Amino acid sequence: MIRPRTTTEVLEAVRAAVRDGRALRIVGAARWNDAGHPVRAPETLSLAELTGVVSYRPDDLTMTVEAGTTLAELDATTRARGQWCPLLAWGDDHGTVGATLATATSGPFADALGRPRDLTLGLEAIDGTGRHIVAGGRVVKNVAGFDLTRALVGAWGTLGIITRVHLRLRPRPAVDATFAFTPRGAGLPPMPIAALAQVPLPSAVAATLGVADAAWLLRVGANASAVAAARAALDGAGRVVELDAAAWDLVRRDSAPPSPARQWRWDPLSLRLRDRFDPQRLLNPGLLGEAP
Amino acid sequence: MTALATTLERIVGPTHVLSRPAALLAYRSDALPGHRLMPSLAVMPGTREELVAVVRALAADGTPFVARGAGTGLSGGALADGIVLLGLHRLRRILAIDPAARTATVEPGVVNATLTRAAAVHGLHYAPDPSSQTACTIGGNIAENAGGPHCLKYGVTLNHVRRATVVLPSGEVVELDRGDDGGYDLLGAFVGSEGCFGVVVDATVQLTPDPQQVITLLADFLRVRDAATATSRIIAAGIVPAALELMDQATIEAVESSVYAAGYPRDAAAVLLAEVDGPSIGLADDARAIEQLCREAGARGVRVATDAGERARLWQGRKKAFGAMGRVAPHLVVQDAVVPRTALADLLEEIQAIGAAHRLRVCNVFHAGDGNLHPNIPYDADDPDESARVHRAMGEIMARCIAAGGTITGEHGVGLDKLAYMESLFTAETLDAMCALRAVFDPERRANPGKVVPVRSCREWHATAAAR
Amino acid sequence: MSGHTGSGVHPTLARSPLAMARAGLDRCVHCGFCLPACPTYLALEDENDSPRGRLLLMGALLEGQVRVDDAETGRHFDQCLGCRGCESACPSGVPYGELIEATRTTLAVHRPLPVVARAILSVFAELWLLRGLLGAARLVRGSGLARLAARLLPRRLAMPFAMLASTARPAPRPYDATQVRTAAGTDSHAMPDRGRAALLTGCVMESLFTETNRATERTLSVNGWRMCAADEQGCCGALHAHAGDRETARSLARRNIAAFAASGADVIVMNSAGCGAMCREYGHLLADDPQWAARAAAFAEKVRDVSELLAEAGPRPPAASPGHARETITYDAPCHLQHAQRITAPPLRVLAALPDAQLVPLQDSDQCCGSAGIFNLLRPEVAERVLAPKLQHIAATGAAVVATGNPGCLMQIGGGLELSGAACRARHPVELLDAAYARAVRPD
Repeated sequence: MIRPRTTTEVLEAVRAAVRDGRALRIVGAARWNDAGHPVRAPETLSLAELTGVVSYRPDDLTMTVEAGTTLAELDATTRARGQWCPLLAWGDDHGTVGATLATATSGPFADALGRPRDLTLGLEAIDGTGRHIVAGGRVVKNVAGFDLTRALVGAWGTLGIITRVHLRLRPRPAVDATFAFTPRGAGLPPMPIAALAQVPLPSAVAATLGVADAAWLLRVGANASAVAAARAALDGAGRVVELDAAAWDLVRRDSAPPSPARQWRWDPLSLRLRDRFDPQRLLNPGLLGEAP
Repeated sequence: MTALATTLERIVGPTHVLSRPAALLAYRSDALPGHRLMPSLAVMPGTREELVAVVRALAADGTPFVARGAGTGLSGGALADGIVLLGLHRLRRILAIDPAARTATVEPGVVNATLTRAAAVHGLHYAPDPSSQTACTIGGNIAENAGGPHCLKYGVTLNHVRRATVVLPSGEVVELDRGDDGGYDLLGAFVGSEGCFGVVVDATVQLTPDPQQVITLLADFLRVRDAATATSRIIAAGIVPAALELMDQATIEAVESSVYAAGYPRDAAAVLLAEVDGPSIGLADDARAIEQLCREAGARGVRVATDAGERARLWQGRKKAFGAMGRVAPHLVVQDAVVPRTALADLLEEIQAIGAAHRLRVCNVFHAGDGNLHPNIPYDADDPDESARVHRAMGEIMARCIAAGGTITGEHGVGLDKLAYMESLFTAETLDAMCALRAVFDPERRANPGKVVPVRSCREWHATAAAR
Repeated sequence: MSGHTGSGVHPTLARSPLAMARAGLDRCVHCGFCLPACPTYLALEDENDSPRGRLLLMGALLEGQVRVDDAETGRHFDQCLGCRGCESACPSGVPYGELIEATRTTLAVHRPLPVVARAILSVFAELWLLRGLLGAARLVRGSGLARLAARLLPRRLAMPFAMLASTARPAPRPYDATQVRTAAGTDSHAMPDRGRAALLTGCVMESLFTETNRATERTLSVNGWRMCAADEQGCCGALHAHAGDRETARSLARRNIAAFAASGADVIVMNSAGCGAMCREYGHLLADDPQWAARAAAFAEKVRDVSELLAEAGPRPPAASPGHARETITYDAPCHLQHAQRITAPPLRVLAALPDAQLVPLQDSDQCCGSAGIFNLLRPEVAERVLAPKLQHIAATGAAVVATGNPGCLMQIGGGLELSGAACRARHPVELLDAAYARAVRPD
């Protein structure tokens, strides 16, 4: 197993692989082993030791981390400054940032708080031809050049190995409350959003998800008066029990949808993309069910 | 009349193919001042079927082309240098609005504000709001990944497009999406590709519910630095304003002299336009917090507008600021760069110093909350000395923005205008990777050739990459 | 900066009106904000028929990149409705109306006007001829022939007759101003004397909208104005100026300036938005005429739209007449009122004073209806395409009356409604106020 500690070491490893035509299985915390199909590669490259916060500028709400940094470390670092990178991905926080982005794993709050593609400002990666790509930047708005960042996020490592990422952070809401909510009336309506349409919820962080004991789990984040008013509105519309935010950990762990890598769409355009960035099929070959 | 023109006429009808030089004069420019290039021919399909047929005819002929929406872009991206101009403004049908799913499917020529107007009956709107929203098209917005003041809270075009049907320069028609169900994010790669990857045939975009309440604040400052400081503090305080815009004295003066006079105090060094929106509960708390932070940073006064008319007036001045500068001098350079928000205060002073050193007047009007600067310089292009000074000053400003950890464009795109800065921002290998990405969609480089990535970046690295 | 085209003026146009107006042209930053405000761009879908495109063509003309006698280019200038909707959308303050007239004047030297246009314009310049022709038109209208022709003829030929038919009005119900004040229970002495007002009776207005002129005089009297006459007045010259015949426009202006000076009026009242916009330009039109410049400027200063005067006075609300059914009314802003004179609120205030009306908004009411002076006679096909969405929006309001303060718009919209068989009528806001006063005095 190759365990590089810097982007340069990843670059050297990939260039050697390109030279020798040797395929690599790329892993972060090695938690997504069977997410797609088996990888056909003689060697594994682990990013688990390429870790650390490279820079954190709280006043800019941006952060740069090495790909092997865990979500837990990201969370701890930002929490200290009242911020977060609200990836809140399916699974748990032991996974790495790099893998979360590479697999575009979102979570229950994707619609409200953004998906990995929305939270990634830029990244560094080594593609399957040995190119060191430095895409995007650390500013929150950027349209300079073609968008390599979006191409690499969610590509499951098959176009390039993400080694470092620039993330957009958000302020944590002043109050972050989680409620179990059972609307008045018989049974749960099929669309929780519709049921809540009459309830004026603060928009900063509002998401609904899943059924637990015949209740909708609901997270409301805003300033204190807004959360209190939302709570009052919910009280008027049904039964409300306030829970610890840890309730979401269970949801994230147990309600993950099946991996999209299982039924990858290999249309001509996608094949051409793979051809241009990994013509020798050296990165995670077979993972996305492609023909050898 | 060339054979190609005849073929195109057969597809779209003779009135929608222009080939006489006199008829093409009006298509020599987009909204980027000072740049004019003459297309060889202009063709304007009226249906999606015609669009696909036109692109196929161009492919069969091996002819390069430039797609153009309303020609409101500010980077010269829609200029065609002796090649075919493909006008999409006739494709302006809204195909569907689904209020339950909160989406709209539109043709590329639908005007941004028209979509919002159509969605209004459902209590929805299209969130990305470039200043040109009354004229610019959704197709152009997708090509440029357009932003706008309210992107601070709601995100840019990229975050609002769900899927698109695209005709590739080869004539192939493909469906692009985010890849949520197992696929590459081809849509993400396409948005912002500045017309170099293909042409949108139709797109499904997300609509956003209208906020229950909106509060707009106008804070005025006697020092620009204080306004920049207020910006940083508001963001750092954890408030997510819907928009946070800064205008300096030169811009205030131009706006107040125009038909869009908004009642900004003419003697202020800068005004900060802040807006919060959402459910009315708790919103006033956020507005009060912003007011407080502005006053702490040194604001002389804060005006709060809650009624629609007053808010519209405050915004009108901001949105038409660029055009209003037309009255200051015959020509105008419009710049677009992004820096980390914390660098704003210093950078604004450096920009003023650079302007002063070159004896130029810099008008700043920009998305402060995003750190997205728009230093604009009115000047007279007929004065060669002044033109040269403008050119030098702009180069210095861009270099400062890059050095501060910023980028050369936040929303206008690279087009022709920013081509020269690409090599100082990106490594050769990264530029080559961009060429590779373009080649996925347009291997012949017939769509908007010569834009975004300098040609030599591709050629050199094509050779080495292939040899590897 | 690179690729900037120099701004040298081609020698043949060196002293042309367009070259003189060059500074206004330079204000354009081609931002494109004018595009959605331009009715011909929306109808014809070619930027050559948009304000930005025409401004670029003007620049190209000046720089010699396109020949002054290029027929196609000339057509794009001809096709401009002159509605000046673009001016309201322009952040740079490009004086488009001034520029298009300067262009037409410049081109007129090299490219004579079409025969039809010349014929129409010469009629308007000659009072006796115009009165005779319009008198004949009244006869056609009165005999019912106009409506018949509108029904029977193919659409293209039917429109002028439909327009004529739409100007027909029921028999007038005159009243005396003091009667209205008495009916309202106010003492006539309570109404302040606002001064002397003379009406520009206009050519089309006085012939085809005679009753609207009388209604203007009556409603102003009710609201405290003393009406006086300017006997020797004639056509305002707007049609000539728009078409590029500046000399005729200037001589017509001089005639009116003299006539109104003799009337001793404090204000010069307009009930035709097109004439109003023109009369306000007299100062500009005669600026280089040392004998007339000062008088022209003084004249322009006195010009008021009737809606402004009425709004200034309230207007005095007519008493509700119980027997009268409540009507839905919508308002379409004449371009020459909204864009050229920037008058938006006063007509709405006049309509808001109507006791038996419900005012509903009209979508795109700031867009041109396609009338534009004699444009609809010269380019009926374009005018019709511009009118189509207007009629749709009017139908969508369900209004019984569409109010608009300009004879061209009244006829264009009225004719369109007539042809489409709609029950909705086009009326001048002043007519509606007048009818309400009449009802208050003598209920239905």
